[in-house]
Amino acid sequence: MSVQPSLRLRGLRKRFGQRSALDGVDLTLEGPQIVGIVGPDGAGKTTLLRAIAGLLEIAADEASVLGFDLRKDVRALKAQIGYVPQSFSLHRDLSVYENLRFTARLHRLGNEEFERRTESLLARTGLLPFADRPAGALSGGMKQKLSIANALLPEPALLALDEPTAGVDVMARDEIWRILEERRGKSLVLISTSYLDETEACDRLLYLDEGRVVAQGTPAELRAQVPVRLLRAWGSDPRAIAKAAGALPYVVSARVRGPFARIEIAAEELPGEARLYADFAGLVPRVRLLEPAPVDMESALLFLSRKQTQGTSAP
Amino acid sequence: MSAPIISVRNLTKRFGEFTAVDRLAIDVAPGSIFAFLGANGSGKSTTIRMLIGLLRPTEGSIEVDGVDVIRHPRRVRDHIGYMGQKVSLYPGLSLRENVEFYAGLHGLAGPELEARWGALRERFELSDAEAERPENLPAGLRQRAGLALATLHRPRVLFLDEPTAGVDVHSRGLFWELIREEADAGRTVFVTTHFLEEVDYCDWASFIDEGKLIANAVPEDLRRRYSGGYRVHIDGEPAQELTTPAIDDAFFAELDPLLAVRPGARVRIDSPSMTDVFRRVIAESTGARRAQP
Repeated sequence: MSVQPSLRLRGLRKRFGQRSALDGVDLTLEGPQIVGIVGPDGAGKTTLLRAIAGLLEIAADEASVLGFDLRKDVRALKAQIGYVPQSFSLHRDLSVYENLRFTARLHRLGNEEFERRTESLLARTGLLPFADRPAGALSGGMKQKLSIANALLPEPALLALDEPTAGVDVMARDEIWRILEERRGKSLVLISTSYLDETEACDRLLYLDEGRVVAQGTPAELRAQVPVRLLRAWGSDPRAIAKAAGALPYVVSARVRGPFARIEIAAEELPGEARLYADFAGLVPRVRLLEPAPVDMESALLFLSRKQTQGTSAP
Repeated sequence: MSAPIISVRNLTKRFGEFTAVDRLAIDVAPGSIFAFLGANGSGKSTTIRMLIGLLRPTEGSIEVDGVDVIRHPRRVRDHIGYMGQKVSLYPGLSLRENVEFYAGLHGLAGPELEARWGALRERFELSDAEAERPENLPAGLRQRAGLALATLHRPRVLFLDEPTAGVDVHSRGLFWELIREEADAGRTVFVTTHFLEEVDYCDWASFIDEGKLIANAVPEDLRRRYSGGYRVHIDGEPAQELTTPAIDDAFFAELDPLLAVRPGARVRIDSPSMTDVFRRVIAESTGARRAQP
């Protein structure tokens, strides 16, 4: 495909009865890349992915996906989209191979082309030894890999994946990401995930809340927006250190994380260096080392969720 | 360690030719958070089903809170609470109705139920959700409700099977605070997860592969054994890099003199991620298996 995949949404809205699932999504994406969709449970991530995949009737001021208008006939669009829903939706009684052949027929893929692509997809997903196994008898991780192989078979310009790695073990996640990496320069890949390491691997992130995109940018840009300073306090009793640090007036949160206490401070309330170190030196039990750490994706996402909560509860 | 509250020996489950769980031996300390880890299909769920008396093992012994689970699979039920990945709340019933149903199963009613549920409702932030049906609740809230129900009858051991799968980072943080509070109250928590960084919230981690235990230690010992250690960078003149297997007294004994000659120098520590630790656990186990004839 020579045309660059692109997407342009303005004021995208979707209601389910009384409930507004998407409440004016504005979003422009140009060119192949991996875009992570993050945000709290119930923010509208699934609805947005389904809308983009042409599976929902929506309202919008503009809703162009791969040059097709979502408000009109989307059958031609669907042929160019691979969609992986949250729950397994392939034919459980068909084998891995038969499921792929079924999809190939829907897309009118020639036999030779089908065999070539299938062999390569099964090898890359590690599913080759299981080609004849009924899909219903695969483990959770293998089911997800089959769903992705199935979505990739028509070599779609846009791939929409709804939490493809939820409940999936680390090795299968690594395999799934190796496959996505191969699409990075070729397709527009939209993926929702709750794994922090996966959000770091995305080219761009969209933070959704209450049906809107409230923040977006590269992972580094999102981290840079966060007015929080992160510190790690090391000592022999990190639980007691976290408890003591939590009582300092400028500490937003203090939690144990294995061998250290992870401490967040609001940037605007950050005391001078001298006072900060003096305060921590005075904690009981003793802090052996106070280490300023770079803001990570966990802090960034927690900050965005706190900000939204405060925003909506304000009078 | 005080006498284990869960003690498993030689636990084996075969389905025909297939050995799902293979001579497993684990001990869980009372009041601890015990992470039970492994790949999809490694035998985790089969093991949990045996521990809670739902599946009879082919061989071996299981004792949970003093109950021989194989001989008395039903007797263990009042000692344990269970919550699966698909939370065991009945759709169509409100959360409050679910509470009454579960309380009834354990003979909890009247003022005793009101006091217990009232406290849980407060602490788990469920007041607004009480009249809602579980299918209408966001995943994080639904999981908290599931945990509240699992612990309603004050069980001695909580079994939580992937309680945070598909839950957002904010709700996961809250959820782990509640788990720690349960452990502090003396309850033992047996928990599985694929968010491997959550192992740092736990007191112990066991990892199984093809039904066999391949790692079994406190999290810091796993870091020590399965990573290149902590990389420590000290600013100042001259800057210095060092590697240490743990941030412990021995490390500080080495660090303090280095800092003494560099007043005010910053120290940065690169911690090995738990996800990488378990990638290595798996790689070594797979390598060892392939090396066998």
